[in-house]
Parts: sequence; structure tokens; C-alpha cells
Amino acid sequence: MADSICRTLRDGALEGELAPTLTIKDSLASPFAFHVFSHILLQLSSHVIAQKSQSQGIVIVALSRAPSSYAALLNMNGVDVASSKKWIHILDCYTDPLGWKDKTRKSANATDCSPQISVATSSFKTVKDVDKLFSVITELGRGLVGENKARFCVAIDSLSELLRHASLQSVAGLLSDLRSHDQISNIFGLLHSDLHEERAVAVLEYMSSMVASVDPYHSADGQKGCLGDSFSQQNLTKGKFNVRSKRRNGRVRVTCEEFKVESGGITFASVSSVDGTAVAGLLPKVQFNLQLSEKERVDRSNVVLPFEHQGNGKPIQIYDGRRSLEESNSEANPISSGKKEDSAMGEIIYFRDSDDEMPDSDEDPDDDLDI
Amino acid sequence: MEQKNWNLLDESLGLHINDDAKPWPLCGRFVLVEDCVDTSAAFVLHHILKRSFSSHPSSAVLFLAFSHPFSHYDRVLRKLGCNLTAQRDNGRFFFLPMLMFQCPGEGKPNHDGLASVFEQIERVITLLHQDKKSISIIIDDISFLEVAANGSSDDVLNLLHYCHTLTSEYGCALIALDHKDIYLNGDRTAVILEMEYRADILVKAEPLATGLAKDVHGQLMVLNKETQHQHGITAIKSYNFHFKIKENGIECFYPGTKIQ
Amino acid sequence: MATTRARISSFSRNVSTVTSQNPGLKHGPNGTMLISSGIPDLDKILGGGFPLGSLVMVMEDEEAPHHMLLLRNFMSQGLVQKQPLLYASAYRDPKRFLGTLPSPASSKGDKSSDLSHEKDIRIAWQYKKYFVDSQLNLNTNNGGQQDYCNDFDLRKPLDRHYFSGSNVDCVCFKDSPNLSALQDRCAEFLAKLSRNEGNISSAGRIAIQSLCSPQCKYSNDEWHMLSFIRSLKSMTQSSNAVVVVTFPPSLLSPSCSLRLQHMADTLLSVRAIPDEDKELAKLLTGYQDMIGLINIHKAARLNTQVPVILEATTFSIKLQKRRFLVLECLNQAPVDGSSGSSYGTSGGCSGSSKVGTLDF
Repeated sequence: MADSICRTLRDGALEGELAPTLTIKDSLASPFAFHVFSHILLQLSSHVIAQKSQSQGIVIVALSRAPSSYAALLNMNGVDVASSKKWIHILDCYTDPLGWKDKTRKSANATDCSPQISVATSSFKTVKDVDKLFSVITELGRGLVGENKARFCVAIDSLSELLRHASLQSVAGLLSDLRSHDQISNIFGLLHSDLHEERAVAVLEYMSSMVASVDPYHSADGQKGCLGDSFSQQNLTKGKFNVRSKRRNGRVRVTCEEFKVESGGITFASVSSVDGTAVAGLLPKVQFNLQLSEKERVDRSNVVLPFEHQGNGKPIQIYDGRRSLEESNSEANPISSGKKEDSAMGEIIYFRDSDDEMPDSDEDPDDDLDI
Repeated sequence: MEQKNWNLLDESLGLHINDDAKPWPLCGRFVLVEDCVDTSAAFVLHHILKRSFSSHPSSAVLFLAFSHPFSHYDRVLRKLGCNLTAQRDNGRFFFLPMLMFQCPGEGKPNHDGLASVFEQIERVITLLHQDKKSISIIIDDISFLEVAANGSSDDVLNLLHYCHTLTSEYGCALIALDHKDIYLNGDRTAVILEMEYRADILVKAEPLATGLAKDVHGQLMVLNKETQHQHGITAIKSYNFHFKIKENGIECFYPGTKIQ
Repeated sequence: MATTRARISSFSRNVSTVTSQNPGLKHGPNGTMLISSGIPDLDKILGGGFPLGSLVMVMEDEEAPHHMLLLRNFMSQGLVQKQPLLYASAYRDPKRFLGTLPSPASSKGDKSSDLSHEKDIRIAWQYKKYFVDSQLNLNTNNGGQQDYCNDFDLRKPLDRHYFSGSNVDCVCFKDSPNLSALQDRCAEFLAKLSRNEGNISSAGRIAIQSLCSPQCKYSNDEWHMLSFIRSLKSMTQSSNAVVVVTFPPSLLSPSCSLRLQHMADTLLSVRAIPDEDKELAKLLTGYQDMIGLINIHKAARLNTQVPVILEATTFSIKLQKRRFLVLECLNQAPVDGSSGSSYGTSGGCSGSSKVGTLDF
């Protein structure tokens, strides 16, 4: 549930526990993780502004989008950008991740002419240095919320980009450091799952408390990198949104929603039929119970089995199509002779058509029906 | 602006949109063009090049040529009605010949070589930006760039990332060609996948399923992703049509609707 | 550049005659100059020959050595016209290979009647656009002292005096640790033929046999080979030379092979034909004379964006009178439609020759 994710992130971390972490992953067949990312970002911003959330500030680590695009995003959704300096800060790892521009500008004495944007940003030019990235993030967060117990949240707009610059181990290290930092309320990040090996995706899923995956409608033929899929009209705007969240009580909640990308953002709708495949995989298929309780034993002994003669001790008479020896003299004897005495109840009388009819023929009586 | 004969390719790229605030509709966007051995999509680059010059007198193009020399493009574009030599002399066309560019191999790092390439690019862009030009950066073959970087996809992606930053920083358009079929067997797919994620517009050229024909040279699929701009958001659109390449332009038509 | 400037109109397609100064050259479409491949039929299929400044790649069959036929004729043609040649191979003594080159057919009278006869039957599939031109050329060729394109007699070795001169250079790249030595030799060779002078005096040919041979030390380093071909291509683009490189796609990773295919201006592949296949004999007329198949995947399109669409892409390689190499369109009813689709599939996976049956 997109709402429940936002609620969890809003409620933030409990004292002494790891901060809730959300990984949003997608694939080329349905590349809408950024829509989900910005949806959550906007929701959280409104909570922060209304001071309904645990976190009092947001640090966006921008690796794949320009800071100006975030300013535009906030602006377009009616977030008061003027006041934003108090609660949002963008760490710009996008413009110059490796310091190339810095080098040339220093040598040419040119000034930074990137467009001025209204959101507070600071640039980071050594993305390969993940330890430094961690200290800068926490520093910025402290700058927003102060040194006290107040918390802030961290949004990483592309873990994929980070993984390209740094090793999986150091990225996992960064996440775990962030999660255990006592001023961080929550973390959410975006991952393009088909850019990485399975192990990298598994590691990041392991590191996070919630995994939201954006899947195409027909995931069965969702071949890796197959462009034909993304061109199919349905997958252009719609898809499935699967969330697995590890709850504090140890349960895993699995939800599935449909989403639709429209101009203006992404909307979620719940699906009526949640497929139970995840549950079925968890439980053993057949359950055996080999022990019986005392009550069960008594109950079992009281069960009257079928065809057990009930009451008067007479031999059981079940019509099997043959004349039994005792009945040979009474040609048209009713079958249920055992209940003859109360004839007022009505009876079924059965006459054999002829003797050449095979007793209890297996033949289908409707055999000759031509439908 | 004079009335032009827009074809389906223009329409799918959004080039027909007449917007005075944005004289060159591809500003700030990244167009990825993909093709295969059977069907080359170089003509899409030629087409965009031609359109960018005719869109507005303030437009300029920086061309990173990895696969063909200037003389080739000069001849091709002249037949399309666009004189590259004159544009070059006017300071609107910058041709960076990268044909012989090669990073030193054998374990030496590539990033210095690629950083110097970006330095060249940025120098031109800052120069053009001072003249308030709307700039397009065209890279004619990413796969050659990969070869020049000795197959290091990370370094290639770094350079492309830096080129991409120019789209937001200076409002440049970035247009790049790559060959999809190289990556289809699944190894070293990082470059093409990452580019596909980044691309705002994806153009894919394929041969017809029925083989080559004289009248239809192939089909184009264009995916124009949702974008945010001042006037709101344009929705995702996809187009699918056939094309025929001629010396003086291209013909685009929906399957079966070609008028002889 | 200078030549392109000199020619103001770009619509030079119809001028396709042998230049007066040099019989080995002729004007092609879009301001290109063509040299002959050494196989008259291949020239006709490709619309005149290989344009100067282009890279021709030949995908070898893993079993049949038909790529050698193409190389030999290409080299012989150059030597007969006294064009400089650089030959490189992975064999220890590349000079020896020159002794196996074919000699041009001597008896002219016999041949020309032969040709005119052929012309009548092959009109149907000739590359239409250039049909008139090639016909003209044939006429002028037979009268002239030196031809643009010769017929080579595969059973008669080339006279030694053709390749004992100083304009022939041989390189063995088997033992070199990488291709940079070969690249330097090519650069040196091409520098002499650089396209700066307005008048093209001579055209050069570079023939590289089995570039990715497994016996070479660098054969595991695909990126090294790719960057060699890439720089060779860019050097060639600015010179009056044609480079023919053959390579075995089956020994390379599919993506590397596709990268090489993308680099080629003209892309050909040769394939073996199964011996004494009764079904095939029934299917194809003239099966007895066929020695293999040649596929034209890509024809060079220098200075133009219009792709060259051939009438057919698969041709049979035949030996006429056991001497002359001829290429013929496959005479089978649904050739055209199906050859188009096979072109598509074989382009997609370079190892199409691995498929047991012939998919033309």
C-alpha cells in the first residue's frame, strides 16, 4: 500500500531501533520507480510541513536527477519553495560526481553558471568516497534539524547510480550506517533492478525494511531489457505495485496494488484479487495430524459407518442387481424390505425390464443421446 | 516560423510543436536512437541535425563524430538542404572528430582521456551558451565510444552522465546513437540499459519482419516519455511507423498507408 | 575533402566511367571513387566495386575457405593494376600466399564472347540502377589495354613480376603480442595514400586475412581487436584505399562479432554448401557447379544516408570452366522474399552458418 508505506516512513524510527528503509525497484519493462519515488517524496514533504511526521527535514541525495528538477517538482505540486530552505536540502551528486567540471573550472577560472534554484543545494564531487558521502549527509541533516534529538529523512534518488561508482559492500555499509544513525527517521532509495546482478538486488533488499517493486502487468514475458514490452500500450502508463514490508512483530505484509501514471503524478488503486501465491509458497502443501486427542477418539468411535445395520439385527440388504437367495421367490419385491413395516412412508418399486438385461449395467443410459 | 512539412518522425519527437519560449523543442531532453546491423538509424541523426538548424537562427550543434568524417556528413546534409560547411563557418556547427580518439589500454585508467573529451565539449558549450544559443549535442556512435574506452562501460557511462548534466545545466539537447543488437545476448548491457532509463525519447529502428524491401526500409518505434516542463506535463506517447530513406529526406507512413 | 569540394554538384551518381588517368578507378555514386573487387560479378552486385575509403569485412565460414577466394581476387586485381598492396596474415610466411594468387585470363577473344553470352542470362538480376553503366564499362574494358576489372583464372598463378616490386608489403602478425605493430604498418601505408591531393593518382589495397585467428597472442582481447579495426577504419576513411578484413565470427563472442559488423562499410559473408546433398540439388538449379554461397549483408553507403537495397542478398559462388569465379543469383522460385528474411536473421546472429540447413 502506497499509503501505508508513507505512514510507516512518516512514523519513522523507534528509539534504539533501525530506521525504516524503503527500496523502490523497477525494471525497464515498467520504469516508473521514479514516479513512486517522487510521490513518496511529496507525501513526506507535506507531512514535514504540517509537522505530522517524526522527521523534520529531508535530505535528497540527487545522483540521477538535477537539483533543478526537484525544485520544479516541488513547485509544480504546490509546495512552498520559499520556506523549503528550512526543511529540505539537496546534496547534488548529479552535476559533477567525479569532479571533472571542477577541475576544468579551476584551471579556466570560470564561474559556476548552473541555473540558480530556489532549493538549498550543496554539491558533492567525490561520489566514489562513500564514507565522506555519509558524513556529508549527516552533516546536512544536522544543519536542517539541529543537534538535538530531532530527526530527518534521507532520500537517495538512485542507488543504481551509487552502485556504479562504489562497490556493493560500501553501498551496503552506507545504508547500514544511515539506518543506525540516531538522527535519521527513515531512508528511501530507488533501484533499477535490471542494471545489477541478482546479488546486488538481494543485498539491498536485505538491507531494507520495505521493498516496493514496480512491475509490468504481464511480468511473465518481462524479459530483461526487452523493449517490446515497454512499447506495449498498457505498460506505458499502468502496472502493478507490489510491496513487501517486514513488520516489527516479525511478520511480512505483502500487498499488491495497481498504479496508473497520469499527467500530474501517479495514482494507486487496490486490486480486489490478491493472489495467494506468496502465501502458498510459505506453507507446506499438505498437513498431517498423526495424534488424536481423547475427545477425538471418542467422537470417532461414535461415528456410524455407512451400511452398518442400524438397529434390528437383520442382515444387511443392499440391492446389487442380482437376486439374492432369500428373495428368489418374491419377484417384484421392493428393495428396501427392511423398511417394509412402515409402508405409509411410501416406497420405490422397481421392476426389471427383462432378464436379458445385464444386472447393474455399466452402460451410460444417455449413451445414445446425440447432443 | 514558416510552415514546414512535418512528417511522423517530427511529430513523434515533438518537433512540430511551435513554442516561442522553447524554439528548439528537444531542449533539455535526451534522445536515444537505437538500431541494428540490418537497419541503420543514422538518418534519424541527420534528420534531427537538419531540423535543429532550421528550427531557429540561434540554434547550434556540437557533433561528436566517432564513425564518419566530416566530409561524409557534409555531403549527406547538403543533399538534405543544409550546408554544414557554412554553418561551421557561422559558428553554429562544431564538429569534434573523435575518429582516432583512443584511451590508452593495458590497465591504465581511461577516465583522464574521457575527462579531457568532456572538457572539450564543455568548452564549446560554455562558449555557445554565452551567445544564448540553444544547443544540441549529437554523438554518432556510443558503441565506438565503448571501443575507444577499451570496453569499460563505467567510463562510458560517466562521460554520458556528464553530457547528460549539460541538458539541465545549459538546456542542451543530447542525441546519441547506439546499436541495440550488440547487447541483446546479455553481456555488458549496462550502457544500453542505463541509457534507456535516462532517455526522454527512445527511437528504435528495426527491419521489417518480412525482410528488406525497396519501398519500405524499416520501421521506427518512438517512445516519448512523460516530461515536466513549464506548461505542465506531457503524457507518454508511443509511435510506430514505417520509413523510407531518400537522399533529400525521409518518408514516414503508417503501415499500409503509403501513397505511391 | 579536396575532391569533394571540387565537385560542386553532389548528384554525381550517373558519372560512372573509368577515369582517363587510371584504369583501376572509376567514379561511383555520391562523389566516391570505386576500385574493383577482382570479381566482375561482385562489382556488379555492389554497384561498381568497393568505394575508396571503405572497410570491407568478410565473415568467414568456419569450414570453407571461400574468404580466401575473395581475398586472392581482390589482391590480384590490385597487383595487375600496379596498385600498392599491404597483406597481413597470421601465417608465418605471408609472402608465400602471393604465389597462390590467380592470374588474369589471357585469351581475350574467347572470354569476351563468353561474357556477352553471360550478360544475356544475367540481365534479370543485375543491379538495375547501374545496369547501363556496367554494360558500358564492359564494352570499354574489353577494348582497353588495362581493365577496371579482370577475370581471373584460378588455375594459373600470377606472374612473379607483379608482386616482386616494391609496392607489395607483407606482414605476419602471428607472433606480435598485440596489433599495434600492424596498426603502425597500416598507418604508414595509408599515409602515402592520404586524400589530400585533388587528383587521385593511385589507390591502395590492404588485405588482412583472419584477423581474429586463435593462434594470435591477442586473440582473447576482443576490445583490442575492436579498437584496431576502429582506428583502421578511421585511417582508411581519409585515404585512397580499401581495406578488406576477414574474420571468423564463430570464434568471437556474439557481441564482439556484431560490433565488427557495425564497423564494416561493406559486409559480406561466405558459407559452405553441403556436398552431394540430394535435396538441395533438387531445390537449386546448377547445384553441381556451386562451391559455396556468398551473402551481401551491407553495401557501403559513403556520403549518403540511403541504404543500398539489393535485388537479392544471397548468391552462389561457382567456378566457371573450373577457372573463373562467378556469382549467380540462386535460381529458386521464392528466392527474393525468403532471402530478405534470412538476411534479417543472419544479421542478428552472426553464427547463422551454424544452422544445419541453408536458410536462404
